[in-house]
Amino acid sequence: MLSSLYASFSLRRNAVDAFRVNVIHARQQVRSPVTNIARTSFFHVKRSNIWLAAVTKQNVNAAMVFEFLYKMCDVMAAYFGKISEENIKNNFVLIYELLDEILDFGYPQNSETGALKTFITQQGIKSQTKEEQSQITSQVTGQIGWRREGIKYRRNELFLDVLESVNLLMSPQGQVLSAHVSGRVVMKSYLSGMPECKFGMNDKIVIEKQGKGTADETGKSGKQSIAIDDCTFHQCVRLSKFDSERSISFIPPDGEFELMRYRTTKDIILPFRVIPLVREVGRTKLEVKVVIKSNFKPSLLAQKIEVRIPTPLNTSGVQVICMKGKAKYKASENAIVWKIKRMAGMKESQISAEIELLPTNDKKKWARPPISMNFEVPFAPSGLKVRYLKVFEPKLNYSDHDVIKWVRYIGRSGIYETRC
Amino acid sequence: MPAVSKGDGMRGLAVFISDIRNCKSKEAEIKRINKELANIRSKFKGDKALDGYSKKKYVCKLLFIFLLGHDIDFGHMEAVNLLSSNKYTEKQIGYLFISVLVNSNSELIRLINNAIKNDLASRNPTFMCLALHCIANVGSREMGEAFAADIPRILVAGDSMDSVKQSAALCLLRLYKASPDLVPMGEWTARVVHLLNDQHMGVVTAAVSLITCLCKKNPDDFKTCISLAVSRLSRIVSSASTDLQDYTYYFVPAPWLSVKLLRLLQCYPPPEDAAVKGRLVECLETVLNKAQEPPKSKKVQHSNAKNAILFETISLIIHYDSEPNLLVRACNQLGQFLQHRETNLRYLALESMCTLASSEFSHEAVKTHIDTVINALKTERDVSVRQRAADLLYAMCDRSNAKQIVSEMLRYLETADYAIREEIVLKVAILAEKYAVDYSWYVDTILNLIRIAGDYVSEEVWYRVLQIVTNRDDVQGYAAKTVFEALQAPACHENMVKVGGYILGEFGNLIAGDPRSSPPVQFSLLHSKFHLCSVATRALLLSTYIKFINLFPETKATIQGVLRAGSQLRNADVELQQRAVEYLTLSSVASTDVLATVLEEMPPFPERESSILAKLKRKKGPGAASALDDGRRDVSSNDINGGVEPTPSTVSTPSPSADLLGLRAAPPPAASPAPASTRNLLVDVFSDGPAAQPSLGPTPEEAFLSELEPPAPESPMALLADPAPAADPGPEDIGPPIPEADELLNKFVCKNSGVLFENQLLQIGVKSEFRQNLGRMYLFYGNKTSVQFQNFSPMVVHPGELQTQLAVQTKRVAGQVDGGAQVQQVLNIECLRDFLTPPLLSVRFRYGGAPQSLTLKLPVTINKFFQPTEMAAQDFFQRWKQLSLPLQEAQKIFKANHPMDAEVTKAKLLGFGSALLDNVDPNPENFVGAGIIQTKALQVGCLLRLEPNAQAQMYRLTLRTSKEPVSRHLCELLAQQF
Repeated sequence: MLSSLYASFSLRRNAVDAFRVNVIHARQQVRSPVTNIARTSFFHVKRSNIWLAAVTKQNVNAAMVFEFLYKMCDVMAAYFGKISEENIKNNFVLIYELLDEILDFGYPQNSETGALKTFITQQGIKSQTKEEQSQITSQVTGQIGWRREGIKYRRNELFLDVLESVNLLMSPQGQVLSAHVSGRVVMKSYLSGMPECKFGMNDKIVIEKQGKGTADETGKSGKQSIAIDDCTFHQCVRLSKFDSERSISFIPPDGEFELMRYRTTKDIILPFRVIPLVREVGRTKLEVKVVIKSNFKPSLLAQKIEVRIPTPLNTSGVQVICMKGKAKYKASENAIVWKIKRMAGMKESQISAEIELLPTNDKKKWARPPISMNFEVPFAPSGLKVRYLKVFEPKLNYSDHDVIKWVRYIGRSGIYETRC
Repeated sequence: MPAVSKGDGMRGLAVFISDIRNCKSKEAEIKRINKELANIRSKFKGDKALDGYSKKKYVCKLLFIFLLGHDIDFGHMEAVNLLSSNKYTEKQIGYLFISVLVNSNSELIRLINNAIKNDLASRNPTFMCLALHCIANVGSREMGEAFAADIPRILVAGDSMDSVKQSAALCLLRLYKASPDLVPMGEWTARVVHLLNDQHMGVVTAAVSLITCLCKKNPDDFKTCISLAVSRLSRIVSSASTDLQDYTYYFVPAPWLSVKLLRLLQCYPPPEDAAVKGRLVECLETVLNKAQEPPKSKKVQHSNAKNAILFETISLIIHYDSEPNLLVRACNQLGQFLQHRETNLRYLALESMCTLASSEFSHEAVKTHIDTVINALKTERDVSVRQRAADLLYAMCDRSNAKQIVSEMLRYLETADYAIREEIVLKVAILAEKYAVDYSWYVDTILNLIRIAGDYVSEEVWYRVLQIVTNRDDVQGYAAKTVFEALQAPACHENMVKVGGYILGEFGNLIAGDPRSSPPVQFSLLHSKFHLCSVATRALLLSTYIKFINLFPETKATIQGVLRAGSQLRNADVELQQRAVEYLTLSSVASTDVLATVLEEMPPFPERESSILAKLKRKKGPGAASALDDGRRDVSSNDINGGVEPTPSTVSTPSPSADLLGLRAAPPPAASPAPASTRNLLVDVFSDGPAAQPSLGPTPEEAFLSELEPPAPESPMALLADPAPAADPGPEDIGPPIPEADELLNKFVCKNSGVLFENQLLQIGVKSEFRQNLGRMYLFYGNKTSVQFQNFSPMVVHPGELQTQLAVQTKRVAGQVDGGAQVQQVLNIECLRDFLTPPLLSVRFRYGGAPQSLTLKLPVTINKFFQPTEMAAQDFFQRWKQLSLPLQEAQKIFKANHPMDAEVTKAKLLGFGSALLDNVDPNPENFVGAGIIQTKALQVGCLLRLEPNAQAQMYRLTLRTSKEPVSRHLCELLAQQF
């Protein structure tokens, strides 16, 4: 096991051993991300088989520690791609360098990849002029820590991704018990200079505010606006402006960053509906019929659809018939897994299975776990729409129209379950 | 590649197990198991019948999955099917599954029982054995109910194979242990005993185990086994090492059987039949002889087997405890083991010796090994062996070697393991107390103990030394000197400070003569430790200081200075603060007499059983304490130190030290409030009389004499404790009334109910009513403690000529007053003549073993029999003039004790009993009253006049009655009320 230990006072190196013994190789699987061993707190996140642990003896803000750990993951991913044992071994020195920069005396400093890349380069240190060095200093300590000056692109381009994951719990009768969408807006910008950007979406509050001004617009766009429950922004967004005008304006970092996160719970477009039908035929047989209906524009295509139908623990044999895709009984997971590669909107597909059961001594009834589903759709289930993204660069002579903008929506399933 | 055996081995099972073992994570394992379970389910579900081999294989897999910790809820049926197979391996796996996984599923149990029944009835011994093993392994009540009757039959059947009999015996044993009520006793019991004669040694071994267990419940049924066991034992013991073939273990013939036989014999007393007994003794001797022979093999198994028999033999000898010769030989044999190389042997030898030491025959023999044992204590590497050595030293200790043993244990204590220190401390304390020849040695020992292992000296131990020092006059001076010296060490343990503080506070005066330990030196020595001590110790030291003020008046200023210091008076701890404040006030307010009384020497402790013994018993549990309790050294009786000498030849001669604690000695001369009252001394000040000086400590001879004849009470001022323990004393035994009795009485001159007396033990309430010359009084005695008062006897005494003046009938009350309870006593009073002194109430009881007595004046005064008389002014003056003889009038002029309030005065006069006459006296301020005192013999007319003078705060009281002593008496009584 590899460990990069950031030296901090009052902690000994044996803390690593303690963590290894008590968490990584613990008898019982450790489920809590925070572990307390001998008055020392270990916060860990796991990326494949790499454990990242932050250690402290003080009462620190746990949320901050985890934010830092995730940021650390992002930074590392930005520098050398996937976090794997191999990659970490190869970039040992780089990781120390990064840690040195990100943390001072155990306090997180600048963890912005774009900014870091300006002075921690993978291609070796080029000899920098005095001017550049002073620039770095002013940039690190200045107001806009996430973007350096003097960036130039021949083609000013930006990509906007709206990524959402939709979570659902539905009753067998089709009643929505709980549903919410958590989404992120990720932006990749290749813009010259210090551009000022303004992002607009169909936020209900903004639309209504505008609607006051122009009465005829209210009726038109009122239906299309969405209510955002809560959102968080990247540090580049001017929060004061958001608070007062609810407009999202910012100077973007160079490269990829997450502009905002949000959550909605109202008016969610559910891409799929699952209609289960379970019938017990005697003590030794179970008939299951599941229908899935796609509920979006026929022109769109959903991908990577997977339906997981749990089977009782005393299943002795399964016969499956399905019209579309492939279905298989996976004994090791106690479930029937039905996979469909692609499915257009407003379609319907069906699977039926006969499950044979072995009579058991236990009188325990089968708990009937819910049927879960995975998919990917090319729209935002929350209904979020990007209305505009304006770019102003007063110093350089390119206008909003010269910027090439790309917008993409991806909706994925989170925990998408239907009781049966 | 996993190694998979061919042939009968189940390849699928082996592959599965190796798959599981190769799993990298828990999740992978669960997945693999799920897959396998699904496979097995589909196989069991499959329409085509499985052959025996596959069934066996899958059942095996299920068993393995179950043992990995997963739930298995199917496959039972297949396992039951396997039971009916004719193949041994299949049947075996079936039984295995049933034994491990069976639950009380009625349906299956019936099937299983059926299969077992079939197997038991079969002629195949292997199947019968499998079935018996299954019954034994499951051992459930259902199984027991089904087969408890069959198994004894199989056990004693003539045609059963040996191996079956063996299994049956063990199976029966298991069932009997699980539910003894299920196994029926019957004629088979006699035949079981005869199994001891069986040819097959295995059967005999199994049978002995069974009989040993059975005979514990009904020894009489199996009595015949003694002779059989003895003969069997003698055959084994005398056999050559090659006789028993299979049952010879490393040249030792049938060691397990021998051990079991010896255990069986330990269930019974020595055989009565002389021949049997002779044979047994011969056997035991042979075993002891064999132990002396050189070993036939160097292998450790050989010596282990041999020693196992030897130790069991010694246990039997100790159990019989009737063969001095054998006991001594056993002891010598163990003595050899004490220096053996094997740690286990040394341990066992010490343990056995502990029991030997308690036998009267071998005690002396054990004592000869004292040096070896002491050496073991010092040099032994293994802690458990050292512990045994300490136990043995404790067990072998008697008066002759107590000093040596105690000093060795003390020396060992310095290096002893922390785990056993407290126990050793207790043991040293007990031995020192039990076998003390002189007190100075005892005190030295305990102080040493505190010095060496102060942390492990529990409260009981140092309480005990204080109790003993307090109870024995002759050791007090020495103790004071010794603690003083001990306290001079630069660092001494807090327990030492506690003991020192207490002893110097009580007996510091005994060493004050020496200039090196003059009072100021004593004080400064104690005070130098003060700041290093805990709150409890500081509190104790504060009490010591106030005692010093009493003992050494010259230290008063210094100590008051200490008490006055802000660190005491404003201490954060409320107890210390209270003590400082109260002691300071006590020392400055109270006169020396009061001080002397309050701070008198503590009375002897009435406690009977040594608390440390109780503690040791508690610590070691009932079993371990048995060494203390067995006959010879019964220490739990009242007479702790007066035990009989170990050997019967030595006649018990009570030496002067025979009663170290002086428990039988008479209570000491001086008495003061009960020990518990030290905590709140100020509350308990009843007396301002001179305190009895503590008499000088008698010499041991005197102390011994004092045991025989209780000394007469010397103290004229017995406050609460009455020296005479007589249950029903005559009136002459009544002590004088308590000093405040008069004051208490005065409260009742004008009222008829209230609390007559109260201290921290007892509350006496009174309620009375009087009519003419008769009266009835209710006395309520309330026990304020949580302890029962015993021999509670209140009685009314008429001193002097009162008997002719006042008749009081009392009803007896119950002898016990429970803690917190109240009893009522009714007194019927008749006034025969006029009287002057009130009757006395004497209350006696035992509180916590200490006799308490109390004498009060009963609130019956002559004015209680007043009959108010109304008369006109004219009549009054006429009568007033009639009673004009000088002696008939009593007049008193006195200063007002209470504020002069006309209404209160009126109420008092009415309460006094007279009628108040208005408009008689020309001065309206004055009070005039009249009444007749009713007695049986005569009536006394009475007129009174009270003239208050508000300016001078004075009263003039004039009384005229027809009888002159009555005038005076009434005048005095009434005068005290204003």
